[in-house]
Amino acid sequence: MPSLIETVTQAEQKWPGQVQGWLDRRKPVSELRCNALEVLPKLARWLVIDLDYRLAGLIAEEQAEAWEIRYLFYQERHEGWTHLIVRPPLKVKNLPSITPEIHAADWHEREIEDLFGITFEGHPLLGDFVLHNDLWREAIAPMRRAFDPQAALTEPAADLEWRPRRIVEGPGAFVMPVGPVFSGATESVQFFLETVGEDVIRAFPRLFYKFRGVEKMAEGKSVDNCLLLAERFTATSAVAHSWAFCQAVETICRVRIPKRAQSLRILLAELERLRHHLGVVHDICESTGLAVAASEAAILEEDVLRICGALTGHRYLFGLLVPGGLSADIENSACLKAIEDAQEVLRRLAELERMLRYSSSFLDRLEGVGILSPEKARGFGLVGPVARASGFGDDLRQTQPYGGYGAMSFEVPTESEGDGFARLRILIAECVQAVRLMAQLPSSMEPGAVREDFHYEGHEGVGLGWTEAPRGAAFHWLRLGADGLVKRLRLITPSFVNWHSFHLAAEKFAFQDFPIILATFGLSVAENDR
Amino acid sequence: MEIKQWVLQGLRTGIMTTRYPAAKESAPGVSPGLPALVSEMSAEEGSRLATLCPTGALEAENGQVHLDVRRCVHCFRCVRGVGTPVHWEAGYEWARVAAGAKQPVWPKGFSKSLHIRVVDAGDCGACLSEVKQLNNPYYNMHRLGFFLTPTPRNADILLVVGPVTEQMRKPLLETYEAMPTPKLVMAVGACALSGGVFSPSIFSGAGVAGTLPVDIEVPGAPPPPLAILHGLLVAAGRKTSAVRSVVPVQQMETGKLA
Amino acid sequence: MSPQVFLGVFYALCASGLVAGFVLSDRSILPLIGCVGSAASVTMFVVGTLGILGNTFSYRLSALPQVGAFTFSVDPLSGLFLSVSALVFLPVSVYSVGYLKHYLGLFSMRSFCACYFGLLISVVLLLTASDVVGFLTGWELMSIIGYLLVNYQRRGEEDPRPGYMMLTMGEVGFLAVTLAFLILASRSSGLTFSSLRTAGVSVSFPIRWAVFLLSFFGFGVKTGLVPFNRWLPKAHPVAPANVSAFLSGALLNLGVYGIARLNLDLAPVTTPGPGLVVLVIGTLSALVGILYANRENDMKTMLAESSIENMGIITAGLGAGMVFYSLNVPSLAGIALVATLYHMTNHSVYKSLLFFGAGSVDAAMGTRDMNRLGGLIKILPWTAAFFLVGALSISALPPFSGFVSEWLTLQTLLQSATLHSSGVKVVFALCGATLALTAALAVTCFVKTYAMSFLGISRSNGHRPQARTYRSMKLAMGFLAILCFALGVLPTYFIALLDHPVRELVGTTSIEALVPPFFPASAGHESLPSTFSAEFHDLGAQVGSRVLPGRGLVVLHRGGTANPVVFAMSTSYAIVVLAGLLVSVYLLARRWAGHKSRCFRKPVWAGGLQPLLPELTYTATGFSNPVGVTFNAIFHPTEVEDSSEMVGQHFRMAIRRLVEEIHVVDRLLLQPVNTRIREVANRLASMHHGRLNSYAAYILATFLAVLLVARIPASQQFTISPALIIIVVLLVDRLL
Repeated sequence: MPSLIETVTQAEQKWPGQVQGWLDRRKPVSELRCNALEVLPKLARWLVIDLDYRLAGLIAEEQAEAWEIRYLFYQERHEGWTHLIVRPPLKVKNLPSITPEIHAADWHEREIEDLFGITFEGHPLLGDFVLHNDLWREAIAPMRRAFDPQAALTEPAADLEWRPRRIVEGPGAFVMPVGPVFSGATESVQFFLETVGEDVIRAFPRLFYKFRGVEKMAEGKSVDNCLLLAERFTATSAVAHSWAFCQAVETICRVRIPKRAQSLRILLAELERLRHHLGVVHDICESTGLAVAASEAAILEEDVLRICGALTGHRYLFGLLVPGGLSADIENSACLKAIEDAQEVLRRLAELERMLRYSSSFLDRLEGVGILSPEKARGFGLVGPVARASGFGDDLRQTQPYGGYGAMSFEVPTESEGDGFARLRILIAECVQAVRLMAQLPSSMEPGAVREDFHYEGHEGVGLGWTEAPRGAAFHWLRLGADGLVKRLRLITPSFVNWHSFHLAAEKFAFQDFPIILATFGLSVAENDR
Repeated sequence: MEIKQWVLQGLRTGIMTTRYPAAKESAPGVSPGLPALVSEMSAEEGSRLATLCPTGALEAENGQVHLDVRRCVHCFRCVRGVGTPVHWEAGYEWARVAAGAKQPVWPKGFSKSLHIRVVDAGDCGACLSEVKQLNNPYYNMHRLGFFLTPTPRNADILLVVGPVTEQMRKPLLETYEAMPTPKLVMAVGACALSGGVFSPSIFSGAGVAGTLPVDIEVPGAPPPPLAILHGLLVAAGRKTSAVRSVVPVQQMETGKLA
Repeated sequence: MSPQVFLGVFYALCASGLVAGFVLSDRSILPLIGCVGSAASVTMFVVGTLGILGNTFSYRLSALPQVGAFTFSVDPLSGLFLSVSALVFLPVSVYSVGYLKHYLGLFSMRSFCACYFGLLISVVLLLTASDVVGFLTGWELMSIIGYLLVNYQRRGEEDPRPGYMMLTMGEVGFLAVTLAFLILASRSSGLTFSSLRTAGVSVSFPIRWAVFLLSFFGFGVKTGLVPFNRWLPKAHPVAPANVSAFLSGALLNLGVYGIARLNLDLAPVTTPGPGLVVLVIGTLSALVGILYANRENDMKTMLAESSIENMGIITAGLGAGMVFYSLNVPSLAGIALVATLYHMTNHSVYKSLLFFGAGSVDAAMGTRDMNRLGGLIKILPWTAAFFLVGALSISALPPFSGFVSEWLTLQTLLQSATLHSSGVKVVFALCGATLALTAALAVTCFVKTYAMSFLGISRSNGHRPQARTYRSMKLAMGFLAILCFALGVLPTYFIALLDHPVRELVGTTSIEALVPPFFPASAGHESLPSTFSAEFHDLGAQVGSRVLPGRGLVVLHRGGTANPVVFAMSTSYAIVVLAGLLVSVYLLARRWAGHKSRCFRKPVWAGGLQPLLPELTYTATGFSNPVGVTFNAIFHPTEVEDSSEMVGQHFRMAIRRLVEEIHVVDRLLLQPVNTRIREVANRLASMHHGRLNSYAAYILATFLAVLLVARIPASQQFTISPALIIIVVLLVDRLL
């Protein structure tokens, strides 16, 4: 696996004149600027297949006279990022698609097509993705500067005859619609399950019912108000996403946060991870109908919520992370109490896990159900506990350490079966690791400042912040203007990446298994829709 | 063998349910509290706090400070790292009957048990998560006669969370239309009341009031389960609302996130 | 008036109808069929009822050389079958007036008219025949005319195979039946039924089995029993709906008539063996029939498979009756036969009704495929209502007719517990369980049919009906629906009627065993034990005695002192109570709910998805898929295609799933037999190598063999020479 500098030199050698490399050792980031569009797929393929990079996502920006489309790559073994950048002029609306080579780019390209109007040649399924065609005309491109909301509202909707796309051909095949309003209290998402009556042949989730256009809202806002957007768009991972955003700002403004703030950030992030995973365990137990186990897990989740509430004043840890550190200090005694309570929760979780392992009727519904193979996980570029349960996947805290994680000792559990039971085991093992991390913190929490004061104005530039959110790798890409206002915020979320592969796990299983598979994935629709 | 172990485990865990509404719940971490204006503050303090508030919950006008808790998103910027922070009140009984709506009176036989249809109209996940906590052994809304139902045909209360995104507007309306009378609409959370931090755009609305007539309002971001429980009790007519909201809901057209 | 007169009127009406059909114009033929056909059916009904009530007669036509005289008679058994057939032909005549309007100008009305009246004549001929030749003549006539009518709407290029298959298999059955009669006749003095009857009492064991097997096989083909019923689901759907109605409703019963006549009347069974065979075959037919009915999406094919199921139940009841009769328990045999004949009547009525409904749907929508129908209750409300009555009846749901007969059949099978032979009891238990299973599957099948066709969203994209449902069609369906209801809520009267033919067959009356005399005015009321009588009077068993005739309204079978009531039910009282409950609930609800609540009409809830497109709702195939999966071993589907069309490695553009199924009877029985026969034929074909010398040698050898045979005594000649003659004839034929 070549390092960043080797990547740059090799690229320039392979495509002389078409690719220019540039390296910033500080961050560290390397850029490959490609000025021949047709080289793009080959270059991307070379990075992923030959050099074993991973695609984090795509960022599209409309600048004054040109587009800037940025492909983010990183490696599992070396610190550092390689950005592949193309800057076609604005009148160019077609780019070659890299999806045939790297399937992980599929949804990114579709999103860009819907929101920006750029088509990707070679992608077989563009359109009707973020903006539903039965509500919006195709290609209104709301992320463009010239977008006029009033015009979009008055124009008639595109397709009043909209029908879900059906691919199953066979006698008696039909589509079972589920949602967007379904079940007791679930997020709004629609599924079309194609079947001939017993098992699901094809599952098609239709997302973006909760699309709020957060990236568009962020443009032109002050950093503080944008922080609110970045924190709240998926409030069940508020700490993780606000941390990624703060890191991006701190990278751009070249700020180092105090040590105490770093430790406290880790404490809050791990508390959030613990709470999130307990919530997913509760959902899994509830979906299989094991009522007592579901109640036990719910008690644990509520306990962690109360720990967070007692520690910081808010059960979901809102409003604590700010660029430069934390908005308020937390006393050491309170932190120690919280860590103790978390260890008690972990002890009861271990007891619950022991009982679940002996419940054969519960395991029957999870083992061998909703399988995601390692090849598919790799091909779709999955992240988080879902990927790690399929034997693929890393943890950004180890591969691209941030925020002080590099100095902490913890394990990243992986399994290889890729079924529901493997995902459950991963979640519980990660809870153990989270508490282990929390227990290491008090030694590094010397009293001191928790916030570094600085100004946002005068720091023009771009920055990438990343965290390992409870559901997987989250990336926040930020461009600040000289006036300290946000020019572009790009949110690449783990749920967006993982929802892409959900249909693989749901297919070929009976209808009754569907809610269970959905629960084991632990995905957030709000995080995907933004 | 397996069934027995679960039954025994349940018995071992025992009863953990809060005694609310019979008694106040005072465990730590059950509620984030809400700001409250208790005494006069000076004009410059008031205007300074108003500039700190990103959603306009605190507004200064002619030397007067107004507080509209429906806009409060719990960012704590008026409390943390501020010289004179705003007064913060613990507690959770925040639900109010909306202006223009009457205190609900159900036909005989309904008030003891109500069925709730929850619709997520673009919620960030926190309000929905708090609603889900209502059924855990700590709160157990079943003992008070409240049940979640998957079909609007059986529902009495429509509980909406989220600012009502454009793509969820029609399904939300369909759900409301599919409910038989008598029915109530309960808007839970800052997003549902005022759009929250998501300034209204063509994709995201300014709360439920723009789509449906709201009867009960529960402020907070997110309101803790006890606050939602209080809201349900107000909806059932078993508790009186906190304070009648005086600001008419039509004023909630524009968000304030600059 | 004597039955002969009515019979004469009947023949006159049919003949005049036949002749008039050639004279009148197409348009006027329809009312002709309606009026004359109805009149003829009414006369047939009268003759039948008179026969049931004991007003029998016997009549001899002039003797024909070599064949003997034609004898006609009507006894209670044939009277019952005459009445039941009349109950089918009457509404068919009325229905045809409207239904055939859709065929005007496309097909010849004349031929239909001729065939129709010809069929009526042949059915009566068959049922009143009292000698072998008359019976067989009537049978052949009915088969041929039936074939003509099945192929009625065959246009030149369409596949004629369904009709041919029906005819061919029918002819094979006919051969078997002929052989059965001839074997029996060889032991008797003449060809009349009375002489056969006297001979049948003392016939030897192997002859009895031979007669039974041949007649059961032969009539079984006609009735549609496994494994010779593959023609039924192919032939019945191809015919026009009114033809299918009487094919299923009247002609299938004639097979049952034949079996009953030959094995209970002429040559009654003496061992339980034949009865058990009948029982098992009947049960298997019922199971296979309803399983495949569940998988059918074409309405008429589904109804044809359901006919197989019902015929199976009838046959099973018949078999149970034969077993009880052979074990000298005539009372139980009587109950079994009452159940069988009741079910047969019910089946005729509701199957015709269902076929009428299917015909009306087909005429209106142009398709019978359930996957393309839906929401018809709005377009065809009357058809939907009547079809619902038929569907409820066939699903054996109270208070309709199917419930009574199905219930009685299952109760009878339970009575095997009183027998001594454990082998018999085991067979009865297994068959009873299987029949209960078929009853459940029947409900599934008709829920699917009704829901997919009439309820839900229209899947035909708002296709307006092409044709009206004429008043005559509604009238016919209404008549049958009322009959379904009447047969359901007044079982005791019909059982009293059925007692007459059953009494003739088993020797004892069953009315005592089934309908106790609860009404004080009826005979035998005093003979009821007083405690028993008092208990049931407390339950209200005598309600209505002042106004209603008969013995009572409760169907009840009494056992000994230890078990005074073996089974009991009263749909008559149940319907009264049900109606009372519904009315009182309605009134209470009106009072309690008051005027405050209004009723709103809203679209169906689909999770917030509007509009709900028809392709997002269940298809008929999807609904019955669980049945297919559960009975996978029987259906044995083989995957023909399960492919995905991909773009790149991960994008799926299409998934194709195609599954092939071969019918279980074909797969297990007919196809292996077919391959064996072909193998043997291929081996024999090696005889034909074209060398004249070998053929000459064959002829010489045969001639020598015949000469040898001529030396053998006459009795064995009788059996061997026909075989030799056939071989010679075949060889000569191959030569030429």
